[in-house]
Amino acid sequence: MKRALSLIFLFCSLPGLLAAQIGVYQHGSVVRMHMGECIPAGHGFMVAFGGPSNSIGPESCPEYTLVSDNVVFVIVGKLSNSLIPLAQTIEFRFHKNELAVRVDDAKHETKFAIKEMMVRSEWDRLQRHIDEKMRASDDHEPEVRSR
Amino acid sequence: MRNRVRHLLLPLLLVTKLCGYGLLFGQAISIPYEKLATYHSDVSEVRLVFFATDEQHHAVQGLQKTDFAVVDNERVIRDFRSFTRPAAIKLDVIVLFDSSDSVLPHFKQEITEVLQLVSQWPWGPEDDVSVLSFGGTEAHSVCAGDCRSSFTADRVASVPTGGSTPLFDALDTAASLLTKRRQPDVWPVIALFSDGDDTISKASFKRAMEKTLTSEAQVYTIDVGNVGQPSNGAAMLQEIADESGGRYVRIREGAARIFTDVIDDLHSARVVTYALPESGSDFHSTRILPTHNLNWQFRCRRGYYYRSDIAH
Repeated sequence: MKRALSLIFLFCSLPGLLAAQIGVYQHGSVVRMHMGECIPAGHGFMVAFGGPSNSIGPESCPEYTLVSDNVVFVIVGKLSNSLIPLAQTIEFRFHKNELAVRVDDAKHETKFAIKEMMVRSEWDRLQRHIDEKMRASDDHEPEVRSR
Repeated sequence: MRNRVRHLLLPLLLVTKLCGYGLLFGQAISIPYEKLATYHSDVSEVRLVFFATDEQHHAVQGLQKTDFAVVDNERVIRDFRSFTRPAAIKLDVIVLFDSSDSVLPHFKQEITEVLQLVSQWPWGPEDDVSVLSFGGTEAHSVCAGDCRSSFTADRVASVPTGGSTPLFDALDTAASLLTKRRQPDVWPVIALFSDGDDTISKASFKRAMEKTLTSEAQVYTIDVGNVGQPSNGAAMLQEIADESGGRYVRIREGAARIFTDVIDDLHSARVVTYALPESGSDFHSTRILPTHNLNWQFRCRRGYYYRSDIAH
């Protein structure tokens, strides 16, 4: 029984272990997070081109903006509890049109649907533009600020 | 020769320099007073009190600032100005109890619990406790500040009972009182005994919660409604507790449970501060999430209001 369980565990964790060993993981940082609409099966950027995925209920799902060196991803969890630890750096890899994120040190991965992708330089430029706009609107407000 | 020139020039340069500064000071003094008296204050810091528990619902010991991140209006914040454990906190507690028609069948039990809460709480010497009742059209002060000694059964007997339930107005009143006397080393707490069914308030739920979030008070809601029957009131009380970072309990769990909850929170509370993130809205939603251990749960108020024209 123990041996069978060990084998099942090994089988389940093998893809993650292998991925870690052959260094296919990319690194990124989550900079934004909110609970938004779940992506219904058959919608979304990559989902549209991929195979069928698990059906998603009406509840809200976590949506993350994941910034890597060259690409920025907006990814959506399949369930309301598909959470990513918000460490400074997380590891992820592509897996059948989805993004598999290493959730902790236990070699466990969670898969996320990709909602949007953007080239990093373009995203940086957009952020600068948004920040400038916000600063400009702040300059028109009274000086005294508080929490 | 060169040395002599240097000896002559150096004092000359020094005198010129000093005169220059003198002129500068002179110019500064000649600036109109109004301009000098303009102060620019930028206290853009967010302060969040929170509680961390593990999978067994026990407080996480030895929590580090790298163990969590704050999500403030969607932005993930890991860069904190400070992360501390509040020391020697004084309490400012307002006990709000419902005396309206809808709770009259359970009123005796409710009052017993309120009296027990006030009389048996392990108060510190500098803690303040006030009691307000609400029923009819408004909240009534039963005792203020000194309720440890003045809140007695006789006093309760004079409380008006019956009528409608101005729950949100009462919450609004309590939060305004706490905001008025807010001090940094005082922890504002509201213990709300009610069935959660507002029937007459002028204030909306949104406004009452806005005031509560501004006061930074944790609301511990005690459901005095019918046990075992899911109701809108129970959901409302749960929502008030969750929004403020407090807790929801049923009256059958008793005053002892409320003591335990608040005291546990007092011992396990952490305070984190960070620079106010830019945002296009007055309301900032807040949430704390783990950076590595997804079994940990973090509880804090769900948001705060920032208004550039109001200092709160």
